[in-house]
This record gives sequence, C-alpha cells and structure tokens, in this order.
Amino acid sequence: MIKSSYKGIAGNLLFALNIFILVLLVAGDSLVIPRWLQPVGRLHPLILHFPIVLLLLAMLMEYFRFRSAFVAEKFYQEFTTALLLAGALFSAITAIMGLFLSREPGYDGSDIQWHKWFGVSIVFISSGIYWLRSNTWYNSLMARSGSIIMVLFLLLAGHYGANITHGDNFIFAPVMQNAKPLVPIDQALLYRDVVQPIFENKCIGCHNPDKLKGGLELIDEKSILKGGKSGKLFVPGQPVISLLLQRIHLPEEEKKHMPPSGKTQLTAAEMQVLYLWVKENADFKNKVVSLPAGDSLRMVAATFLKPAEAPEENYDFAAADEKVIKKLNNNYCGIYPLAKGSPALAVDIYNKAAYTPKVLEGLSEIKKQVVSLDLHKMPVKDAELKTIAQFENLRTLNLNFTDITGSTLKDLTSLKHLHSLSLSGTKINPKSLDQLHSFKSLKELAIWNTGLSQAEMLALQNANKSITFITGFKDDGKPMKLIPPQVKNTVFVFSKPVQLVITNPIKGVDIRYTTDGTDPDSVKSLLYQPGILISDNTTIKTKAYKAGWYGSDAVSFSFYKNTFKPDSAALLTSVNEKYRGDGAKTLIDGELGGMNFGNGKWLGSQADIEFLLFFKNAIKPRTLTFNSLKMIGSQIFLPSEIQVWGGKDAQHLKLISTLIPGPQKKDDPAIVAGLICKLHETTPLNCMKVVAKPIKKLPAWHPAKGKPSWVFVDEVFVN
Amino acid sequence: MEKDILEHGLNLSRRKFISRLSLGLGSVALGSLLIPDLFSGMSGDSGMDFIPGMPNFAPKAKRIIYLFQDGAPSQLESFDYKPKLREMMGQELPASVRGSQILTGMTAKQTSFPLVGSYHDFKQYGQSQAWISNLFPHIGKIADDICIIKSMYTEAINHDPALTFFQTGAQQGNRPSMGSWVSYGLGSENKNLPAFTVLLSKGKGNGQGVYSKLWSNGFLDSIHQGVQFSSGENPVLYLNNPDGLDRHERRKMLDKLAELNDISSKEFHDPEITAKVQQYEMAYRMQTAVPEIMDISKEPDDIVKMYGPECLVPGTYAANCLLARKLSENGVRFVQLYHQGWDQHSNLPMEMAGQAMDVDQASAALVTDLKQRGLLDETLVIWGGEFGRTNYSQGKLEKANYGRDHHPRCFSIWMAGGGIKPGIVYGETDDFGYNIVRNPVHVHDFHATVLNQLGIDHTKLTFKSLGRRYRLTDVAGNVVKDIIA
Repeated sequence: MIKSSYKGIAGNLLFALNIFILVLLVAGDSLVIPRWLQPVGRLHPLILHFPIVLLLLAMLMEYFRFRSAFVAEKFYQEFTTALLLAGALFSAITAIMGLFLSREPGYDGSDIQWHKWFGVSIVFISSGIYWLRSNTWYNSLMARSGSIIMVLFLLLAGHYGANITHGDNFIFAPVMQNAKPLVPIDQALLYRDVVQPIFENKCIGCHNPDKLKGGLELIDEKSILKGGKSGKLFVPGQPVISLLLQRIHLPEEEKKHMPPSGKTQLTAAEMQVLYLWVKENADFKNKVVSLPAGDSLRMVAATFLKPAEAPEENYDFAAADEKVIKKLNNNYCGIYPLAKGSPALAVDIYNKAAYTPKVLEGLSEIKKQVVSLDLHKMPVKDAELKTIAQFENLRTLNLNFTDITGSTLKDLTSLKHLHSLSLSGTKINPKSLDQLHSFKSLKELAIWNTGLSQAEMLALQNANKSITFITGFKDDGKPMKLIPPQVKNTVFVFSKPVQLVITNPIKGVDIRYTTDGTDPDSVKSLLYQPGILISDNTTIKTKAYKAGWYGSDAVSFSFYKNTFKPDSAALLTSVNEKYRGDGAKTLIDGELGGMNFGNGKWLGSQADIEFLLFFKNAIKPRTLTFNSLKMIGSQIFLPSEIQVWGGKDAQHLKLISTLIPGPQKKDDPAIVAGLICKLHETTPLNCMKVVAKPIKKLPAWHPAKGKPSWVFVDEVFVN
Repeated sequence: MEKDILEHGLNLSRRKFISRLSLGLGSVALGSLLIPDLFSGMSGDSGMDFIPGMPNFAPKAKRIIYLFQDGAPSQLESFDYKPKLREMMGQELPASVRGSQILTGMTAKQTSFPLVGSYHDFKQYGQSQAWISNLFPHIGKIADDICIIKSMYTEAINHDPALTFFQTGAQQGNRPSMGSWVSYGLGSENKNLPAFTVLLSKGKGNGQGVYSKLWSNGFLDSIHQGVQFSSGENPVLYLNNPDGLDRHERRKMLDKLAELNDISSKEFHDPEITAKVQQYEMAYRMQTAVPEIMDISKEPDDIVKMYGPECLVPGTYAANCLLARKLSENGVRFVQLYHQGWDQHSNLPMEMAGQAMDVDQASAALVTDLKQRGLLDETLVIWGGEFGRTNYSQGKLEKANYGRDHHPRCFSIWMAGGGIKPGIVYGETDDFGYNIVRNPVHVHDFHATVLNQLGIDHTKLTFKSLGRRYRLTDVAGNVVKDIIA
C-alpha cells in the first residue's frame, strides 16, 4: 500500500525518536528548553489527539489480526501496519512535545509524573509492537495482550493528562456538591460570608419560599428578621432567650431540635458563630474586620475565611546599580535586597562609634530603593531626619534609643509610604507627636520607654485610631525576688587583711550581711558598705533587699586566714590520677576548689594522703586547717583521722596533733569543711607532715558498703 | 530453511546496524543540545538555583533564635494536655498503643509500664485557648503569640543522635549545623559579629552534655561555624589582645599577616586561607562590638523585670535570652541557646518545676521584648527539645514522684514570630499522648519550614562535598504550610 522505502524512512525516524526520548528522560531536570523551542512544547495538547485515535484504531485491528478471515486480507494487514507506524510516530512526537512542555514552570506534582511515564511507555510499547510483530513467534495471544495493555496505557495517560489540564474531578464536579472558595477575611462581610453560608448549607433546604417549614424562610435579611410560626428567630444581644439558639442547642433526640435528626448537623464552630452573632446584636452589614482584633466572633469567623492576603508589595522603582550597593556596603552598614530580584533594599547601620551623619548622606545614591532603615542605638540627632526624609520609598524606620527629641519629626511626614516607625527609648514628648495625623500611611508606632505617661499614651491612641501604638511591657505589679549579692573578691585565702567587695547588679539594693552564720534580715543586720576589711577567718552570709521586691536568697562565702604560708610542699603518697590537680602545689596555691571536685583544684584518694609542708623561717603555729570535702552520695567523706607531725626537718618529726572527725550520716549535706587541728608543739618548726586517712570500709547503709571512702583536700592553712 | 531465515535476519542487521547506529547517535547528539551543562563539568551544580547570601524569595524572617531545651522536656507536663492519663494512673500501657515501638535500654527490661498523668495541672490561655501546664505561666500569657506544634516526631531515641539530628539534619554528626546552613545561605548581616552564635546555660535538673560538634560548620567554610559566647570575663575565647600587645600593634600584625596569607593564597588557591583572613578581620572588629553587646548593665528596669532579675547573672538562661535579643537585634542571623538539665528519668515533678522556673519567664520575655521592638515579625523564635518523654513511668510510680523515659513518637515545641501563625495549636496526639493522630511534623519538615521562613527553598540550599550535593533536609522534608501566616 505504501512504498516500502517510505516505510523504511518512517521506521528509522521512529527509532531515532525513541533514542531522542531516552536522552530527554535521562537528562531529567538538567534539561533546559530554549525559548524558541517552547511553542513546540505547547503544541502537545493539540497533537496528542492524533496518537490516541490512531493507536486505538490500530490496536483494535491488531487484536483481530490473526483471525482467519483477516490473515489472508492483504489490505487489512498492511493497513494495520501503517496505522500502527503512524500512531507510534505521532505518540513519539507527542511525548517529546510533552517533555518540552513539562519543563515550563507550573508543572509539578504527582499527576504530571504519572502522565509522563504512561505517555513515554506508550511510545516504547507501540514501537516495540511495531518492531516485533513481524517475527514468526508473534502469535494471536501476544497480539491480543499487547493491544489490551496498549489501550489501558492510553486511557491512563489520557486520564492523568486531563487531570493536569482541567483539574481533578473535572467531569463529576458539576454533579458533586462543590465547596465555595473561601473569602479572604479582609473582604468578608460577617453576615454574607459567614452566617448566611451556614443557613444555606444546613437550613435552607427546608426553610425556603418553596418549602417554608414552620413558616420560616432563611434566605435574606428581611425573611430572617421576620421569623416563623413560633415567633421571632432571635432577640439581638440575648442568645439565651433566642428561639434559633434554643432549637439548635436542644439534644438531637428532641423533636424540636434543629436541624432535624437525620439531616446534616451543625458543627460546634457553626453553633458558636450563630451564638456569638446573635450575642453581638446580629449585624447584617459590617465587615468581619470591623470587629476588634481579640473579639471571639472575629476569631471563630476567621476559621471560615481565608487569611488576609498580605498584598505583595509592588515596588515601582528601578533597582540600584549593583556596583553602587557593593561600594556602599561596609562593615558598619549592611545593605541588601529584600529578595532575589527585588529592587527594594534594607539598610542596617551598626556601631555607635563609627556613626556620623555622613553615613546617611552617603546613601543618597540609593535613596529611591531603601524601604527599611534601622538606626537603633545610633547617635542620630534631630537634624538628620531631613536626610532620612529623602528616602522617599521608606516603609519602616527604626529610631529606637537614638538621640532625637522629636522636634523635627514633621520632616518625616513627606514619607508617604512610611507605615512603621519606632521611637522607643528616645526623648520625644507628647507635643512632638501632635502631627501624627499628617503621617498618611503610618500604621504602627513604638513609643515605650520614652517618658510618656500612661495617660499621654492613652490620649495619643484616642486621637489616632488608625495607628497601633506599641507601649511596652507592663509588669503585673507583683513583687519579684531579688537575685543574691555577688562577691567580687577573687582571693579567699589571705595572710594580710583583705577588703570585702560585694555587689548586686540590680540598682539601688541594700546588701545586708552577718558574720555569725545567722540569716541576715533587712533591718538589724549590718549594711554592706565598700571598705570593710576582713582580717580573720570569716564566713559572710548576705542577702539583698529593695523596696517593692522580695529579699533575695541568702548566700555565704568564707575567708580563710593563712598566717604562715608554706614555702613549698611535697606529696609522700600518690593520689588518684583523675584528681591530682597540680600535685602538692594545689594545697598551698590559695585557690579553693568549691563544690566541684573534678575541677583540678582538689586532690582526691581512696588511700592515705600524706604530704610535707616546708617553711624557710621557723614558725610557731597554733592550728592547721585541713580543708576537706564531704559528699556522701559520691562516696566522699571527711577523713577518719588526721595526724599532724612537726619538727626541724623531714627526718625529725613528732606527732603534734590528731583529729578524729565525728561520725558521718547518710543524709549529711554536701559541704566543704575546714577541719581545724590544734597543735601542741611550742618549739619553732621548719617542717610539718600531714596524714589524712579515709574510712577503711563504708558502713552498711551506703550503696558502696565495704569499700574505702574518698578523701578530698584542696587547701591547708597554718595559723 | 530455518538457517536461511536466520542468515537473512543477520544480513539485514549489518546494514541496519550501521544506519541505526548513526540514527541513534544523531538523536543523542540532538538531545544533548538541550542539556546546557552537559560538558562543562558543572552539570547540575546548583549555581542556577542558589546564590549564597541571597534568599530565593522574599523572606518572612531574617533571623532565628533557637531556645533549645537540651535533654528533652516532657510534653506531658508542658504543652500536651492528657487528662486521660490521670484517669488511668497506674494502669498498664495497652500493647495496641505501644505498637512496635522499641524502647531504650533504660526501660526495655521494665516488666510493667504504668501510665502516669501530669502531676502539674493545666490551664487554658489566651484566645487560642491553648492548654499549658501551670509550670509555664509566663508562656501561657503569650499563648496568642506562639504556635504550639504538638505533633513533632523524630527518628532517634537517644540524646546524642536526636540532638545531632535536630541540629544538623543527620544523626551521625559531621554535617553542618542548622545555624551554619543559615549563615551560608544568607550570609552575615552585621559584619562586626559572627552570623551564628551559641550560648550555653545549665539548669539543676539531670543533664546531658552539649558538644561543639553541634555548632560545627561540617563541610562548609569554617567562617560559618558557630561562635560560642560564654559568661566569664572573656565572653569570646582568644578574642582579646594578648598581654603587652595594644590595638595598634595588633592592627599592624594583622596587616602583615594578611600580606603573607595573600601570597600563599595566590600560590595554593585554597579558599580556607581567605576564610582565615576574613576571620582575623572579624575578630578584630568584634573586639569593639562584643563588649558593647555583653554590657547588660544599661538595660532599663522594666526590661530587667520582664526577663526576671536572674537576667543580670551572667551564664543563666535568662541572661542568655537577654543576650540573644541583643545579638539578634544587632544582626546575628542565628542565635542558638542550649539550656541543659531536662532529662527527667526520675524525680520528674520536682526537677521539671525547677527547670521550668529557669526558662519560663525569660522565654516569654524574649518574645514580648522582640514584639515591642518590632522585631518579632522578622525574628523566628523556636522553643523545644530533641524528643518527647514516655506516657508511662520509668522506675517506681509514686503519686508525686515518677520519671519518664525517651519517646521519639510525639513531642511538643513552639515557635513565635517570623511569619508563623500566632495563637494556634497544630497537630494532635492520641488520648494516651503516645502516637500522633493528626498532622505529624518530622524533623526534616521542621527544617524545611524554618528555611522557608528565611526565604530559602530547602531543596535549593545545597553544597557539594565528596561528590554529592548535601541539604539540611537530606532528601526529605515538606514545608508545613498550615502554620505559615
């Protein structure tokens, strides 16, 4: 029927197109379709009808191809071949177009993926059938199953394709109940867009002019106000006695419950809307947004509406030269576009020390593009507002904590787009804010921490209803607890008297203290004043007080006198390698370890700790203080025994004191204890030896019973 | 005969082979014309989609403050109100509810899983009528400013992997932290301060460590690493000039060093050299910027009252919140706080009250303070831990004393500002507080949403390392559109 050379060319073309499609599929997302080729892609929806029809027909004929009546029919056979070839070619062309089209924006989602893979499968299957069908092994069964698969794929590809063009459920949409698109809240009317739709969906089926159950119509304002057979529908402002609300709130079994049982019931939110609508006087005209921001009805109504669409700001000015932006951008001035491709710029100025009025003047090259300017905490003066007024497209201006007084605020009135202005922490006065009404677009003004009184702020709010005033945090008047005083001394072990330095970061507090271990009070205890000297072992307990606040918790800290500082020290036993600090030096470095025994300022061991202290000049000490830790839960106990030896040197020592601390109990609090050993030697010494022994076996009540205790020591003092 | 047919087929094939080969090659060549980067060696590099330092679309938020509650606070004593658990106090967790959940080594051997309701009462707050526990009265007061997500879930059940997952999008570590991604994606705003800073504090509760790998830059430039500010005399370590070197000398030293670095940069073309020079310069500028930031003595009284007087004690959570505001206000893109001590395996009612006391007022104050400065619109505040806690008691259940083990299947976090819908509660868990029944939010979804608020398409923020492009969200994550205002 067709010349075989044409058929050959067409076959080769089909092969080439198959390969081409494969390349496109492999390329996937890296494919970029040049603009001039895009119209070809857009022909896809036009061309796609050809392969559908051609292939459907070809498959029908293929299905019956091996029937004895048709086998001998030359025309039938050749026509089928040609039809299939044409169909396959068209499907390949369509698929290529489709692949081009899919690279245009707006085509994502699962439908397009399904459509793509079914579509290209059609090309491959139809080409496959075309190439294989003349083989001898190709029989009737294969022809039939091949055509059935082919038709299935055609239907599916078509279905997904249609979904992409017409949207989901295009065919049945008219007969199915369709949800109305939500109305944006800023355009919505309370009655028209919130209340009436509830009536429409749930009530109007029975309460319309044709059906008129109970003599009630709910189609418009007039009929609703008229009410029905049983009387008026509601009393504005009084939902509790309103018929409408009584009926809908009755239990569903009740005969008079509306909507009648069996019909679609009102949801809780819908009942809430009706209740609040009547409660707030059943208004028919106003917008939802005319209700105050925190209003319950507004909040509930909002759930039936679309959130307000923040209008994407359209900037009608050209972008600034990128080179200029780059030039002006420096370490103290950040300039950046709001987004990729946006001409609008935001400018933030930093570093007080680097700020001069010139910084603002320098921005004149981009004065059209700046929409947001942040100058908080910069020493901006009144005169500079004139410069700022040149940024004609400014939307937000932050002048918090600047040096302006407000006297030149009117310079800014020329900024017709300015909608947010922050003046907190400045010295503005109510007079300078008289001109607020001449700020045409101003919506938000921050004025906290300005010295304006509560009454003045209220007056401003009343005079400028369209502006939201940000007036700052007000505490609820309940007193708060002060934080404890902080000791600033760094040396707690001294040989000469030291000055006591205590502070509290909260201004104007009284710091009271005691030295006898009792809790300080706000009246009788000593008032801390700078200059107090500590000259003996002292434990300071201190609290902060201030009118209008609760007193702080008490804190205490101890000062240790160390009259005879050893010149050197040496360990005779080894301590645990985790807790060996700086060796023997740790004991005489004047640094206390505190409660954290792992900080390298403590020496710790489960065996005896023995060390020597050396004094170049002979001393006559009375006591030795062994500063030790007790933390029962961590197996850290005070030593079971401390021995102090003294003499001329390490070879001539005799025992001059033995201390046995009392029993230690399960619930003893964790403390650092200075264990004082009284010495009886009266002859001068150059060397002392200290031996501290752990408890050999922990008592039965301790989880680590039977094991030795730990002994920790951070410092020794000799007095 | 059969052989003839076969031969015939083969004969045809030779000619066919050549012609088909040329056709095929031709098609491939034609197709390749449509793949512009095929031979440039840059194929598919995301340069097309993403320019570092530039949002993809107009951002809602410019900055993030992440109040990480390290150790995982119990959702059942904070934001997920489950009266049913109180009713069923002491009864066994039904097997149908537990399903196939694998437990940690700490409770796996427990023979009984007695349900336990919150020891602390709940109250509804604000217009949103959100249920919040009595432990968080201040957060209750800002209920209408925050969006509580009750349906977070994660994949890890132990602290370190869960924390690492939250911070880097992968459980194993060595990936860039969220803050580093943001620094890389948006660049710094104020060139006197790092774009990503870290503040640590510790409560009295049972704690878990935090490690610097959590704020590591991973394979990104080291300039994107988180800089830790500490509470001591040197808030930023090694920032001050060494003894005997004044600022002027330092300047001269830096200039000379930059010259030398420039020489080696020209020789080796290693981008890390330029990064180093930039870091030295920033450190020099930070020497003046940081003391100004750290000085909290000038804060007015009502601010002190708002955050609570603790905010004047360096190193506390309250002080860090105040500092976070100051850093954020000064253009730091990502301020990461960690408050340790939320790991209540035992003694939960008491310990959690202490932890809540540490954070409640200051967290709420931060939101209020940002709001009054007009910064809440452009700053996203996030509050939450790394996973949730079980609805049954770990260890012995007493009326006022119980513990809760780790639970990855559901937990609560909240966000405020930065274009997130205020005053909503998103997602729902079952009556047992064990499984999510509505709107689950995976950690990847959370990351995708946070990036989205910054104007970044999470699929486009990529970095190629070791032959593969990486994202914060790996290959997953969907923006939770329902919580976006």
